[in-house]
Amino acid sequence: MRPLAEQSYYELLEAPAEGTPQQIERAYRIARATYSPSSTATYSVFSADESAAILRRIEEAYAVLSDARLRREYDARLRRVEPRAGVPTVPSPPPPAAPIRERVPAPAARLEAPAGADLEGGLAPENGVFDGDVLRRIRVSLGIELEEIATTTKINEHHLRSIEGNRYELLPPPVYLRGFLKQIAKCLSLDAGRVADSYTARMRESSARRD
Amino acid sequence: MRRTGTPSWLSIRRGEPGLPGRDDDVVATPPSVARIWAVGGGKGGIGKSFLVANLATVAARSGKRVILIDADLGGANLHTCLGVRAGERISLSDYFEERVVDLDKVAIETPIPGLRLILGALGHTGKAETTQEQRSALLKAVRRLPADLVIFDLAAGTDRSTIDFFLEADDGFVVTTPEPTAIENAYAFLRAAFYRRLAAALSDSNVRELIRVAMDQRNERGIRTPGDLLAAIERIDRAEGDRFRRVLETFRPHLVVNQVRDTEEVKMGFSITSVCKKYFGIDIDYAGYICFDDNVWRSVKDRRPLVLAYPRSDGALYVRRIVKKLLGT
Repeated sequence: MRPLAEQSYYELLEAPAEGTPQQIERAYRIARATYSPSSTATYSVFSADESAAILRRIEEAYAVLSDARLRREYDARLRRVEPRAGVPTVPSPPPPAAPIRERVPAPAARLEAPAGADLEGGLAPENGVFDGDVLRRIRVSLGIELEEIATTTKINEHHLRSIEGNRYELLPPPVYLRGFLKQIAKCLSLDAGRVADSYTARMRESSARRD
Repeated sequence: MRRTGTPSWLSIRRGEPGLPGRDDDVVATPPSVARIWAVGGGKGGIGKSFLVANLATVAARSGKRVILIDADLGGANLHTCLGVRAGERISLSDYFEERVVDLDKVAIETPIPGLRLILGALGHTGKAETTQEQRSALLKAVRRLPADLVIFDLAAGTDRSTIDFFLEADDGFVVTTPEPTAIENAYAFLRAAFYRRLAAALSDSNVRELIRVAMDQRNERGIRTPGDLLAAIERIDRAEGDRFRRVLETFRPHLVVNQVRDTEEVKMGFSITSVCKKYFGIDIDYAGYICFDDNVWRSVKDRRPLVLAYPRSDGALYVRRIVKKLLGT
């Protein structure tokens, strides 16, 4: 276990070192909620000062990892340190936006799965169909709000709600719908093609039954 | 009382908590050795018995031979979740008081095929405390039960017997609800279990004294986190420090959050695992959550497991998911 000051930005956010921007964003949201002053999860373990110190480090990590250029530079410095892990290293120059004063540790040898990756696996639909209910359950199990998907994908929230509610009559034309479904699937780390095929097939079945 | 020998949970064996839920663990299990789960969580009334009854029902219906042990000796009620009347039937106290020698004979049938139950000691001598010897004998007998899976339903709180059963299990589950009180007790439970395992793994008397001091959160030595403790131990003895790290690596309880109402509360599970990582340095496995579901209290009132009474409910879906994740069935 490494003291907070020596944890890499990825360790601080508990995000995989190869994580996509979406995974970094998600890890940050969870970390911020966890260590916020009003958090139910921390108040009995960490003092207000300790939580604030962790939160400052998390903000610092996010400032770098959410910026493509700063993240590239940071990753490059991590890689330079890695081969000589454990050997004192010459401190590398700090990046312009977020100075790092402490020694940069080597990233954990094993890539960590993104938080909740194993939760989503267990929710693969029992009958193989990705309908609105299944998509909602998977989203909730990952701790992702509808609003976050709307922000990332630029899909209007009322469309997202209609998709999850299986309210086929309110959905946009099929060509748009497929695109929306693929984007949602990506946010949930699901197979985009499979989700789009499955959802639209179920939708056609349902309208055929009604006719 | 002096402990003799090494507790079995210190040796590496099949189903070490570091490797839960993998199919090959189950396959590698000799047919005569039961896998043991223990479900605890510190606070009462958070759904431990509900969870145990439903996990067991799912496992039994998938073809496993399952035996439940109601280890809540002072407040046994698991039988009611399964629709079994306890009355004056044979119970764990008959085994502890040596009226019955063969533990298998204490396990009574339930309405669910493949699922048997060892009743808690309710209504007998009223003795809720067990001795270390009684617990060791019980655990030895449990390993020899003709079952694929044995699940302990633990009492609330952090009694020594509760923590011992938890640590002895191949998979230990900590249940909480999203309420601050339940979460606080879940941390207390994890903390007690972690320090108990640590105290048994380390032998240097100075180090053990240090652990005793550290268990008091407001100790004078300024040891606030297990990280501080590790640093202090390494100053005394490097080898003991290595043993400490080994405990950290192999201690991997599962977390279940019950009565979840929204996405915020799902995230509570991620937050708790994060705190455990940053505070204890231990990896907790977020095994899953169970959503708040009116069908749950309906099923408890009906005295039938939710997964049988309302198999298509959300709650039942989430229970099945946890079993699938751990047993691969």
